[in-house]
Amino acid sequence: MIRKQHRLRRNLVLSFQLLAAHRLRTALSVSGLLTGVAAVLVMVAVGRGAERRVLDRVLAMGTDLLVISAAPAPRLTGRQRQVATTTTLRTQDATAIALESALALRAAPAVNAAIVARHADRNANTSVLGTTQDGLRIRGVVAQTGRAFDESEAREQRRVALLGPTLAHNLFGATDPIGLEIRLGRVPFEVIGVLRPRGVDVGGTDLDNVAVIPLATAMRRVLNIPYVHTLYVQARSSRQLDALEREVRDILLQRHHARAGSVQPFTIRNQAVLLRTERAAAQAMNRLIVGVALLALLVGGIGILAVMLMSVRERVHEIGLRRALGARQKDIQLQFLLESAFLATAGGTAGVILGLLAATAASLLGPWNLIVPWNAAGLGLLCSSLLGLLIGVVPAARAARLQPVDALRAG
Amino acid sequence: MRDGDYNAGSVIDVRGLSKSYRNGAVTADVLKGVDLHVDAGEFVAIMGASGSGKSTLLNLLGFLDRPDAGSYRFQGADLSQASDDTLSALRNRKIGFVFQQFHLLQRVNALRNVMLPLLYAEDAQGDDEVRAASALEAVGLSHRAHHRPGELSGGEQQRVAIARALVNDPAVLLADEPTGNLDAKSAGEILDIFARLHAAGRTIVLVTHDEQVAARADRTMRLVDGRIASAPGTRPISPANP
Repeated sequence: MIRKQHRLRRNLVLSFQLLAAHRLRTALSVSGLLTGVAAVLVMVAVGRGAERRVLDRVLAMGTDLLVISAAPAPRLTGRQRQVATTTTLRTQDATAIALESALALRAAPAVNAAIVARHADRNANTSVLGTTQDGLRIRGVVAQTGRAFDESEAREQRRVALLGPTLAHNLFGATDPIGLEIRLGRVPFEVIGVLRPRGVDVGGTDLDNVAVIPLATAMRRVLNIPYVHTLYVQARSSRQLDALEREVRDILLQRHHARAGSVQPFTIRNQAVLLRTERAAAQAMNRLIVGVALLALLVGGIGILAVMLMSVRERVHEIGLRRALGARQKDIQLQFLLESAFLATAGGTAGVILGLLAATAASLLGPWNLIVPWNAAGLGLLCSSLLGLLIGVVPAARAARLQPVDALRAG
Repeated sequence: MRDGDYNAGSVIDVRGLSKSYRNGAVTADVLKGVDLHVDAGEFVAIMGASGSGKSTLLNLLGFLDRPDAGSYRFQGADLSQASDDTLSALRNRKIGFVFQQFHLLQRVNALRNVMLPLLYAEDAQGDDEVRAASALEAVGLSHRAHHRPGELSGGEQQRVAIARALVNDPAVLLADEPTGNLDAKSAGEILDIFARLHAAGRTIVLVTHDEQVAARADRTMRLVDGRIASAPGTRPISPANP
């Protein structure tokens, strides 16, 4: 057994020496597979990075959240965004949902509007968000410095504001804004806290350019409206989100005397659905990558196949000699299978190394968010080797079929 | 006795061996019923003009090709129905080929060339490299073991080929015009090696068209038009220089 392994290894070494005689051709034959594997790995890295980024955003919002808007879904007609604002959602709707729905953990109303914020001689375009204590919890609004407003401040419609880091910077620069005064529109507010940074959402909106104030303050003192724009409803469990959506829809339809099926004065956005959509998009991307990977393997394999067939033709004489010296057909077959597998594995390995280097370098140096795909690298290597064996079948069979006497004479 | 039953010392016993080749519509009958008997330890020369079928006969004797008709007993065993694997094993263990064109792998050194048959000798004993080195020593080429064929003279290349033929200690050495590509001096050296091997008890069948080469054998058979001209089993036609 050990002898057999020795001989197998020696045979491989011999094959290697014979292949090394055609360095350029051997290198060219594996270059297709090499670049294919490397390119696919980089694609996987980019795809995974993008997928992760999108999912992170969705997950940051929470997968247990329903967002009810007081308007039909914004429709894109041509290039113009047409939004018909309805004025039917009230703070009481949130209270009703919190009370009547068994699946809801908490519910909160919110208003929001674009507004100009001022401090001294500085102006900044920003958006104001008015919501309740529960709304802060649902949206994960947390003060990094200073504090959030409390129950009594909300009830008493106090003019206190939490600033997003972007807005704080725009108005105050490096100065600590806490305790200082700003104006939202014409209404003066005291800054009581600065929010934890949240970054940019999928659509590119800066989530940190915001002022958060108590709901009642926003409705009465800033916007002067009796209705709210949005209801947030958080589920007790993200698994029950779809059931919660049905429940909330029933409650709202009943409160607004609308019939199911008719045009509803609100739309419900389900984070779980959003997540599913994102996942589906990611899967489509993955299928595309698999397709490209298969194509790359095919192209790379054809290169190796061509060289192997050429190699068999050129080495007819060597095959005849080996047969004369006692090689069985299966020895010849095994030799060419192994040579093909060796070439493909070498090409695959080089491609994996190149791909991983490129992905790692890109994620270290550039602004790209790449995820180095270790498991894809392993799979790529495995596929390359298997491909090599598969590719080798035809040349190996062709080599083994040669009659020793004919093959020798060909020399 | 030689004409009678197979005896224990018989290596090759061929009766009525025929072989024809098809080339398109034309069929060429190369061998038309050859009888041949070689005992262990004999040195037999097969002579014939080019095209007389002597290389075809040698290929059949060495299991490189199968006859169309006739029987072939090798060391007493009938091998007409043997599988390709069996014949491969026989070529590996029982036959040592020496070719006119040497047939060495150009990319690897002499030692690796000599080791080639051992790759396929799964039950061979001892260290491959040691065996190959001693085979090279037997043909006086130890000092050239790490040279590639391109760095060796024709005579040296043929000596490497002989070492390769001997490395598995075969029952018979089959040589096809072994001096055909060599100058007179190298040819003489190669024939001296054959003579030495013969003296040491090695069985040799050598194909040639050269009378002087044939003269070194115990016995010469002439192949004319696909048949043995001299009756099989007769004692050698007396060599030119006894």
